[in-house]
Amino acid sequence: MSGLLLVAMMFGVMLTLMAARIPIAAAMFFAGAYGYVMQTGWPGFSNYLNAQAFARFASYDLSVIPLFILMGNFATQGGISRALFAFAAGITRRFKGGMAMAAVLASAAFGAICGSSVATAATITGVALPELRRHGYSGRLATGTLAAAGTLGILIPPSVPLVIYAILTEQNIAKLFAAAMIPGLIAMIGYMVVIAVYVRLVPGQAPDTDDDIPGVTRASTLSVMPILGIFLIVFGGIYGGFFTPTEGAAVGAAATLISAVLRRELSWSGFKECFYATAESSGMIFLIFLGADVMSGALALSGATNHLSTFVNGLGWSPFAIVAAILLFYVVLGAVMDELSMILLTIPIFFPLVMGLDFGMPRESVAIWFGIMVLMVVEFGLLAPPVGLNVYVVNSMAKDVPIAESYRGVMPFLVSDTLRTLLLLFFPGICLWFVGLIT
Amino acid sequence: MFHLSHLLSWLARFCAILAGLLLTAITLMTCASIIGREFIGRPITGDFELSGVAAGAAIALFMPLCQVRRGNIIVDFFTTRCSSNTIHRLDRLGAWLLAVCFFILAWRTGVGGLNAFQSSSGTMILGFPEWITYGFMVPAFGLTSLIASAQAIGLMDNNGSELR
Repeated sequence: MSGLLLVAMMFGVMLTLMAARIPIAAAMFFAGAYGYVMQTGWPGFSNYLNAQAFARFASYDLSVIPLFILMGNFATQGGISRALFAFAAGITRRFKGGMAMAAVLASAAFGAICGSSVATAATITGVALPELRRHGYSGRLATGTLAAAGTLGILIPPSVPLVIYAILTEQNIAKLFAAAMIPGLIAMIGYMVVIAVYVRLVPGQAPDTDDDIPGVTRASTLSVMPILGIFLIVFGGIYGGFFTPTEGAAVGAAATLISAVLRRELSWSGFKECFYATAESSGMIFLIFLGADVMSGALALSGATNHLSTFVNGLGWSPFAIVAAILLFYVVLGAVMDELSMILLTIPIFFPLVMGLDFGMPRESVAIWFGIMVLMVVEFGLLAPPVGLNVYVVNSMAKDVPIAESYRGVMPFLVSDTLRTLLLLFFPGICLWFVGLIT
Repeated sequence: MFHLSHLLSWLARFCAILAGLLLTAITLMTCASIIGREFIGRPITGDFELSGVAAGAAIALFMPLCQVRRGNIIVDFFTTRCSSNTIHRLDRLGAWLLAVCFFILAWRTGVGGLNAFQSSSGTMILGFPEWITYGFMVPAFGLTSLIASAQAIGLMDNNGSELR
């Protein structure tokens, strides 16, 4: 069988299995196994598998992922989100729509110690949604804001998808985190502007004033200090050259645990729940990792990646047009697939292609910029219909809001996401200058 | 047979807690190593190797609970109009495939572990024996395969809800 036909068969098997509700990891595993066995026979594949689980799981570089997940879960169970939201609401109470803006601020701050969008959305929704509804915010604006603000969890470092990108492409995690910082802040400000405009254009979505909310006090300021402290220790340590990102994740997890224990917010059952939630996310991520390994291994054997490069170069498009096409592809794919599967499956294929193009920038800058672009477009999939995971999570916690209302609520935020993506596509310097500044 | 599903989820929780404690141990060891390195100039030798092998065991030990909770992501977009009966059958097929996948992983990782044991391969600096990590992975994958099989024949339809 010719290489290209085999690759087409592999993708056919994989997509058919995925469409039939087979877990994505298993679909990749079996499609990859099929391609592998067709090329090397069973002995080649079984030999490959003997050490693959060990090689993938028992890796110092990858241990950063479960550590950041554990840190996020300690933060979730540690009860800091309530203090964060109260503090943020004190800051924004003078603005119309201030409490929704506070949800954005609190998500951004929580995102600074949590690397997952869904966890950020769920945690902040838990404390902010009842308050927003009680103060007369519409279900549409409240759920839309919380779903969109949740994406700050992966945009503002630490960020699990960005770590996975860094590992797949052998880039420096610290530099990628630095590159995500400014786009993360732009996203945060963009979302707050969206709220300010929306509550003025569309009547009846927010109360006229949030004046009954207590302002910022010494006590509320002190209560959010731990989160600032953890962020400064982790990132100060990484950029000050005291430790590696993996060590930063370990220190951050330890600091978050200690802060939760000191606040007396973490019971033994909460502690166990941290482990269970970490098990669920880590197990899911690493099984997809393994499935994607088998799939990319089989693809590499077939030489399909080179075929793709030759084909794309033959098109004669400009490099920016090619990247724009790839990003558009992610938006479409993101409508049905989750962001980690997408990154694990496609980066080994697209990254070499992009690195072969000339953008008039050093190779490392291209790699960092492309990573940030991918991170921003996979976020669309978390928000956009038909299956925006963040919207589902937030909506499931709001019993009285129809899902269509929540999707209507995220639309203005998607406009802001689109503008920011275009801005960074045409001005890579926005994310790159901060990398140069800090490292 | 009621008891088998309880035993399997109990084992899965046990593995997850063990793995969580391993990860917590990594965090504390890393802190100790950094403090040692920055303040008294003596890090824990080979700390990153220990992190790697411990994380490897922990990640494998997380798999059973992830399976009990059906944490593995699916695409449900194309089947939203199917009857609940069809969806139920597809989910059982998915569980079967995961059971086979984890069976293959347990088997091949077992062979890999034997190879590592016979060749006494260890980590670079400490020479920590790799077969010990394999020794955590094989039973964890085997347990996950059993859990997925139990789900496939309908023994664990509660999605692990008794855990929450």
